[in-house]
Amino acid sequence: MYNRTMIKIQHVYKQYRSVHALEDLSLEIPQGAIYGLIGPNGAGKTTLLRILGALISPTMGQVWYDNAELTQSPGAIQRKVGYMPDFFGVYPDLTAAEYLEFYAGIHGVSRRKRASIVTDLLELVDLTPKRDVPVETLSRGMKQRLCLARALIHDPEVLLLDEPASGLDPRARVEFRELLRTLQGMGKTILISSHILLELAEMCSDIAIIRAGQLVIAGDVEHVTHSLGGGQQIEVRVLERAADARQLLKEMPEINNVSHENGDGEVIHAEFSGDDQSLHRILDALMSHEIPVVSFAPRKAADRLEEVYMSITEGVSSI
Amino acid sequence: MTFTALLTKELRSRLRRERFVWVIIAYLLVLGLLGIGFLQRENALGGGYQGFLLSQIGAQLYALLSFVQLFLIVFIAPAFTSTSINGEKERQTYDLLLCSKLSAFSLLAGKLIAGLANVLLLIAASIPLFSLVFFFGGVAPTQILTTLLVFVMTALVVGTFGLFCSTILRRPTISTAVAYTFSVLWMFLYWIVYFLAQGSSTSSTPRFTLSQWLNVSNPISALNSTLSAGQGGVTTFLLLRLHLAPWLAYTLVCLVVTIILFLLSAVFVKPNSLARFLSWLRQLGKEFQPSKG
Repeated sequence: MYNRTMIKIQHVYKQYRSVHALEDLSLEIPQGAIYGLIGPNGAGKTTLLRILGALISPTMGQVWYDNAELTQSPGAIQRKVGYMPDFFGVYPDLTAAEYLEFYAGIHGVSRRKRASIVTDLLELVDLTPKRDVPVETLSRGMKQRLCLARALIHDPEVLLLDEPASGLDPRARVEFRELLRTLQGMGKTILISSHILLELAEMCSDIAIIRAGQLVIAGDVEHVTHSLGGGQQIEVRVLERAADARQLLKEMPEINNVSHENGDGEVIHAEFSGDDQSLHRILDALMSHEIPVVSFAPRKAADRLEEVYMSITEGVSSI
Repeated sequence: MTFTALLTKELRSRLRRERFVWVIIAYLLVLGLLGIGFLQRENALGGGYQGFLLSQIGAQLYALLSFVQLFLIVFIAPAFTSTSINGEKERQTYDLLLCSKLSAFSLLAGKLIAGLANVLLLIAASIPLFSLVFFFGGVAPTQILTTLLVFVMTALVVGTFGLFCSTILRRPTISTAVAYTFSVLWMFLYWIVYFLAQGSSTSSTPRFTLSQWLNVSNPISALNSTLSAGQGGVTTFLLLRLHLAPWLAYTLVCLVVTIILFLLSAVFVKPNSLARFLSWLRQLGKEFQPSKG
């Protein structure tokens, strides 16, 4: 799907006195990907993003952007990267346009181009009507979008977004997700850390799960979910004859495992490997045996990411 | 370019704050009320302004306003710079500055000049009050210029120390407290040492040398020398066979101290300063390498 690797992280360690924030972490981030970093609090996601943004140095290991090693040319790397931390770094006395103009200035954007870039970015993040409004009066969602515009001010190839959707209302999240897709369409490589797993699954092409500073698994969403025993699943709800339905499903070659839970009627979960034709055969079999099916819902790998995440981070404190 | 962007932002932010207007009002009120109080006192004692006494009153009024202005500068200048860098850290905007093309020099120069611009604005705002002195006479134009130089140099050195404190100390309250301590010592350390030395043995040469060095770097002595310049000259300091007036020696000391503090701030303001410096040297080396073929 991708032509080349944009960021290569090789055996990176980061130690703060006696605390190991990152341990032997290696990762490759393809160019043009929306790459999700998942892990509980304290897993090392922010540390990794700060290393990638050349804000801190790794204790050991190397980070490569294309063919440039990070510690050899941190200044050049920073020009390639747009960093958005997990807090709003805003100056309350400035208006939205002045705020962006300031960052354009300190990123070396020429005075001639600044005004048009600021106008374009405000339009991109849908803040044109708030152009001359003081930053401190903007809502959280608007500040979030303004910070994203700031990270884009020097047209970076890579965006590092630390918990970009935290605290946003559902509508703002959807808008933010759409905005990231637009940016991906513009060829940006985007690295996002988040706790909101479903959201990451919806917007990311690839994910890496980090636990206690170590990489658990990385790859595209389907691959990660399958690798961690979370293949596709079908959820079947029946009014009655649940035992017959379970038996029937167990006999089918596409079904690997069947479990059930009692609820409003009976719900059966079946691990499944196959295509849409197989799904059709399973539903057809249930109907031909006159089992009263109320709902038949195949769940995609992305939808199951949260379960996978919970299982692998079990016992890890998230405080 | 990055420097002017930072300076513009700093000036915009600072001058928009309501607090700054109140600082100017309070500043002018203090100076104005003292001037009016002095004139009324003179009026009550002398029964009116007549004859050659007028020029003496002018010189005394000028001296009073100058010393008050010096105290106010020392009192106000640290407030404008002592939270410049750690304030960015506290506001969580520091990382965003580090991610930009802003060099350590531009960052510090922008912050320092913006802070000093506030002080210079206060000095400029007080000029109409000082011009009252010209009604009485007794003050030469060169005195005014040298006094102004002492004010600017004092603001520069005290402001730069505030900037240095904000660079090396994490918490703004602590950096402000340390900057004020330095300002007070800068103002009064010479006089403390002077009185201590007078109280003990007078033949102690090392103490005298230290005292003399402190005298050179003392703003009160420097200001005093500018005021007495029109009244028969002042004692001079001998530096490398040059006889320097105290205000000139003070200017040189301030410049040296400012440069040292600024360079130290530049070392500490960005993380991995050494790595960045070496990287910059490598880049420079590559640019100057003769191309092959």
